[in-house]
Amino acid sequence: MRSLKTGLLLAGALAVVLTALFAGPRFINPFAMTPMDREILLAIRLPRVVVAVLMGMALGASGAVLQGVLRNPLADPYILGISSGASLAAALGMLSGAYIIGKVSVPLAAFIGACLVSVLVGAFGWKRGGVWPERLLLAGIGLNFLFSSVLMLVMSMSSDEGLRRTVLWMFGDLSMADWTLIPSASLLVVLGLGLAMARSRALNALILGDEFAHSLGFAVQRERLFMFAAMALMTSASVSLGGTIGFIGLLMPHIVRFLLGADSTVLVPASAVAGGAFLCLADLLGRSLMPPLELPSGTVTAVIGAPYFLYLLRRKDVLSV
Amino acid sequence: MSSVYSGPILELQNVSFGYPGHGRIVRDLSFSVGNGEFIGLLGANGSGKSTILKLASGMLKPEEGSIGLWNKPVMSYRNKDRAKLLCYFPQHLDVNVPFTVRELVGMGLYPYDIPPKMTVDEAVEMVGLSDKMKSFVTNLSGGERRRVFIAMTLIQGAGLLLLDEPLANLDIKYQIELLRLLRELQRKKEISAVMALHDINAALQFEKVVLIKDGAIIGSGRPESVLSKEMLKQAFDVDVEIMRTQSGGVYVGYGN
Amino acid sequence: MACMKIFTAFISIIMWSNVAFAENSTGIPKRIVSLAPSMTEIMFSLGLGDHIVADTTYCDHPEEAKAKPKIGSMSSPSLEAIVSMKPDIVIMSMDDNPREIYDRLQGLGIRCYVWTARKINDLPQGIRELSAVLQVPEKGNELAAHIEQEIGALAAVRKKTQAERKKVLFIVWPEPLIVAGPGTAIDDALALLGMKNAASAAQTIYPRYSIEEVIRQEPEMLFIGMATGMDMRTVSQGIVKRLSSVPAVRNGAVCYVGEGLYRIGPRIVEGIKELAQCVH
Repeated sequence: MRSLKTGLLLAGALAVVLTALFAGPRFINPFAMTPMDREILLAIRLPRVVVAVLMGMALGASGAVLQGVLRNPLADPYILGISSGASLAAALGMLSGAYIIGKVSVPLAAFIGACLVSVLVGAFGWKRGGVWPERLLLAGIGLNFLFSSVLMLVMSMSSDEGLRRTVLWMFGDLSMADWTLIPSASLLVVLGLGLAMARSRALNALILGDEFAHSLGFAVQRERLFMFAAMALMTSASVSLGGTIGFIGLLMPHIVRFLLGADSTVLVPASAVAGGAFLCLADLLGRSLMPPLELPSGTVTAVIGAPYFLYLLRRKDVLSV
Repeated sequence: MSSVYSGPILELQNVSFGYPGHGRIVRDLSFSVGNGEFIGLLGANGSGKSTILKLASGMLKPEEGSIGLWNKPVMSYRNKDRAKLLCYFPQHLDVNVPFTVRELVGMGLYPYDIPPKMTVDEAVEMVGLSDKMKSFVTNLSGGERRRVFIAMTLIQGAGLLLLDEPLANLDIKYQIELLRLLRELQRKKEISAVMALHDINAALQFEKVVLIKDGAIIGSGRPESVLSKEMLKQAFDVDVEIMRTQSGGVYVGYGN
Repeated sequence: MACMKIFTAFISIIMWSNVAFAENSTGIPKRIVSLAPSMTEIMFSLGLGDHIVADTTYCDHPEEAKAKPKIGSMSSPSLEAIVSMKPDIVIMSMDDNPREIYDRLQGLGIRCYVWTARKINDLPQGIRELSAVLQVPEKGNELAAHIEQEIGALAAVRKKTQAERKKVLFIVWPEPLIVAGPGTAIDDALALLGMKNAASAAQTIYPRYSIEEVIRQEPEMLFIGMATGMDMRTVSQGIVKRLSSVPAVRNGAVCYVGEGLYRIGPRIVEGIKELAQCVH
């Protein structure tokens, strides 16, 4: 029964990705492509879909990992302030107009910002030889507030153009996606996902509590640190690819838990698959609903995600809170 | 293992410990657990019982003293190897994630590369929850959930069990059942156990009781000798009556 | 900022290299995509309206521009739409379009031109350069000369009434109160007409002012700019009332002007004229 559901999930995800490639805003017939179609497909749509898949995978898996590490079903990669730190770094990059390294300067700034915040959160969450869930959460929330306020301050003092670009970036803009960042980002996402999947059993044990995790033979603090690092790596890569897109990390684990159960060995990769498909879908909708206007993907995920999240809240068996 | 080795399974020698800034919780504590021994660690709440178990399990590092597991320092074991020998069952069971009974009990197999002989089905049957194999642990009652964790402990197959208030939240039927189960394991597989309790009557079930007050042992030995009126007054700051039943059993009365 | 200068220099180099390439292509580009309303207007004025195959959803002047196929917004146009238009050249504005679009289109092998002129005085030269790239230099020169003439005439008027150095403020939006600061075409226009923009020393180009600040500045004249589709008289009623103590309001020197100054292009002359009319 579960393998049937897993198969369906994979098939569904593949269908969504293919649809995103060929469907909107203009339908491309894969069996009768004009040279123009081919150019659009390869140069514009394919990198865009690949970026969406990578980001969605990273965020979905990060959400699953974080909800386990923090033992909190409402955890989301951005709860720890990674998004506001990355946004601040990206904003500074855009507002200062510094293109020292060319067009990767903003993504690089975002990545560095995300990593720095992760390290800060880890440092504040550290006590007596390890990182503790409650401390991580509180440190993350505190840093989130701090960076958000600094970001708002910076934005209020900036020019029109810089402001516009920063806001667009924060909403999750996949419209300019190209191949430049994909190789390095893929590497990071694969590394993070691989690490998380390799330690899935430890994640299961951590969910039971530190005592049981220790009793079952895991080095609790080390495993937690690995998980945190994996999540930080994936989220940083995601943010550098296409800005801050929310709800994926929060929602995908819940949906997958509902369909396939809570076992992390399944939950983490399945959340990745679901996340990739979901973001592809959101991006497809964003560019197809009111062409040629492009709604930022982050807006679409929020519009779909928020009501669905509230709906899930009413179904006690899904959220189990 | 048991036929060759005759020393203590667990030995604490002059162990002292305190959380930074909180003063000493455990002072100069020494006791040992022999092969197949069931020991009741009795004391009021806050007397340091949980800390002692955590120290024994290797979760906490003592400031002074040593803790030996099968005659090797407990912290020298690789985590997985230690997990095959020692199982620590904490007081608070707090799972808000919908694992199924099968999934949760299956986690007891994590320390093993080659699965042990007991299967998940067998372990779950031993705690009487076979019909709930596919249920989510979040949907079970507190007592049922505890039994699921006990099944997990059983399948982990450790030789030494450190249990922190294992009888809490269990109906008397299941308290008796659990003790019976443990006794059976003691008989068949010679497991040893240390159980932290604060229920005085339960302590009477054990061959050896260690009475704890403020992190130090104030009495150790057979329950009849340790659980005297004076000792209990010292440990729990109450006046209780020790009664004998007609069949020769002993229980502690609460007085009026 | 130094970074802005480096950026501008970089863009200028790109621009010049585009101009250099222009000599290779034969004739006026037949398929032009415009990514900014100001560019659309200028190109229509250059007689290239028929060559524009697509523009943005904000391109509303002249009327024909509205009917053109759309490729999206200025900050986030649809790459697919642009590419499927098969443009010979894409005209962008440094102020309106993000840098990423330029990078991306270049990467796809599409020819781009980036307009950089921002100040009124740079407008004629900008038109000349754009028209050179688009192979209509005579028309461009004509338009540029016309604009220079008009601006010259307006400036001459100022020289006559030298004594007037009125302190003014141009309100772009009433609540929150946003005024035109340094670096805007509005600021240029005010200086051209011999007025002193009280916000010309501000830190940002569209600073947000507090009511207190405005009152302290004691502007003798207030301009309130039109916003598309809104009746600014009603929208700004509140703010005018709260500023009733400033000389401008007390003397009834509050002037509502159109949006001509908002877009760098041919209509800017009308915008300046409107300002001039208010003063006299």
